[in-house]
Amino acid sequence: MPARNHKQWMADPNLPQGEWVDSRIYSDPEIYEEELEKIFKKTWIPVCHESELSEPYDFRTTTIAHEPIVITRGPDNTVRAFLNVCPHRGMMIERRPSGSFLEGQPSGNPKRMTCMFHAWQFDMKGNCVYISREKEGYQDRICKEDTGLRRLRCEVAMGGFVWVCLDDKPESSLEEWAGKPFECIRESIDAEPLEVFHYHKAIINTNYKLWHDTNSEFYHDFMHYHNRVTGFNDEYFARKNIGFEHGHVNVTSFEVNYDEYEGFESREELSFPKFPPNQWFMIDLFPGMNFNLRGSALRCDIMTPLGPNKVMIEFRGLGVKSDSAKDRQTRIDHHNSIWGPFGRNLHEDLIGVTGQGATMKNSTEPRRILHGRHEDNYIHDEIGLRHYYDEWGKWMNRLPSDPMQEYKAPAVAAE
Amino acid sequence: MSANGNGTAEAVKDTIYRSCLLLDEEKWGEWLDLCDDGFKYSIKAWSPEINYDMTYFSADHNHLTTMTEQLPKHNTDHSPLKRHSTVYAVDVDKDGKTATAITSLVVYQNMLDGENSHLDSGENHLFLVGKYLDKLKIENGKAKFLEREVRIETRRLDKGSHWPI
Repeated sequence: MPARNHKQWMADPNLPQGEWVDSRIYSDPEIYEEELEKIFKKTWIPVCHESELSEPYDFRTTTIAHEPIVITRGPDNTVRAFLNVCPHRGMMIERRPSGSFLEGQPSGNPKRMTCMFHAWQFDMKGNCVYISREKEGYQDRICKEDTGLRRLRCEVAMGGFVWVCLDDKPESSLEEWAGKPFECIRESIDAEPLEVFHYHKAIINTNYKLWHDTNSEFYHDFMHYHNRVTGFNDEYFARKNIGFEHGHVNVTSFEVNYDEYEGFESREELSFPKFPPNQWFMIDLFPGMNFNLRGSALRCDIMTPLGPNKVMIEFRGLGVKSDSAKDRQTRIDHHNSIWGPFGRNLHEDLIGVTGQGATMKNSTEPRRILHGRHEDNYIHDEIGLRHYYDEWGKWMNRLPSDPMQEYKAPAVAAE
Repeated sequence: MSANGNGTAEAVKDTIYRSCLLLDEEKWGEWLDLCDDGFKYSIKAWSPEINYDMTYFSADHNHLTTMTEQLPKHNTDHSPLKRHSTVYAVDVDKDGKTATAITSLVVYQNMLDGENSHLDSGENHLFLVGKYLDKLKIENGKAKFLEREVRIETRRLDKGSHWPI
């Protein structure tokens, strides 16, 4: 077809509902805020890994749907999550990304979370244990027992990740939510404690779902020189996308031929426990997290949406906590060569989704984004995207292809 | 430091500053010509987030040669990186055969692509800050890199990072 006029350009594609989306789902500020309320405040979000707070009184801070959160490890070794908000005047209690509450602070004592503003102090269970000049100010009207922190649902699971849900009564337990898609790597990542060895972040102007889309389809491997030369064999294309309840997707494994790539060597020497060498499983979790177990390294992407066209992606790399120095360095090298910030693939992915964000800013014309490739669920099939957006439509009660309309199931349900 | 030591320190600074010019111009091969065959290169950062001293990239001379020759085959952001460096300290070993140097480093991205080149080209963004921690060998009054650790403070790295720093 020759280049199209405006009417042709704006026409719906010749695909059934469910096989394309309207770009307003990536750019509309109202839809974005609604996503935070209806999805991110209701679902289980992995926020960090337990190795990031390995000792009693260690803490880590994070954010879900605008809400600041502090994760602590108590003297009982239990990891707990609280809103990082002082119940007195709303000050953020802990301002650092991580550290230890064993250290005293200018306004407070060791072993306490202290709000620096007026020196209110809390223990590792979130109990308020000190209000400065309590009786003088509040007499008997408010006391410590009334002013504990807001506790949040928190579990350590699936390889030691710390999962938080802002909803006290989530629709599903964490196991019900994420257990099945994790089955493909669970034995390996739960065999022994893991440790994070890599962390960096990117903040880019694009919608969070566009990064998840990229993680959910391999059709974009034409963008990656590395993938083309390491992977394009019959086994590579024989992998399938498998959809799970709640909008999650797996990509099945194959044996990667690293030694076919110039400058690379075989990676058979090191794998994960109970994980055959050079295998590669991928888990894409709704609404925007990705876990990749590829040979010797586990990668995890956690997205924090910052606006309709802005997202922070935190990248972690993990190995086995008991690694020898040599094995750890091998894992780091393997991780970095592909997924590191100076590696071969990650940078290209960031360019791709930033380019999408640039054309889908709020107030640009709605565009039709095609998710209609069918290849029997093999890796160039866009079934992962269709599966995701059907789930998204249910949570939002919006139709992905016309988001101002109420959700209705596609005529042929996403496989 | 002896007069000879001063001359060696100048040779070290000259090699470091020339390396910055060559890296700015993306003349990877000529940069590697300033490096010994046994050259070791790494990019590292301490992460307070995970409480871990991270290696973001490491390579020897052969690996860097292969990698830089493959760069044209990769998709990349076209915005060049430009370095501002100041050699803070040079310490020449007693035998005068090797030296170490600490160089303060700021890298800017001179936007060409940006998000929309119509809007962004010509603008500069701060890309990363850090230090070069170099070890060099001295032969015939010339300094050649034995090791370079790029110790960066920046842990937010967006697009534009395929290249050696």
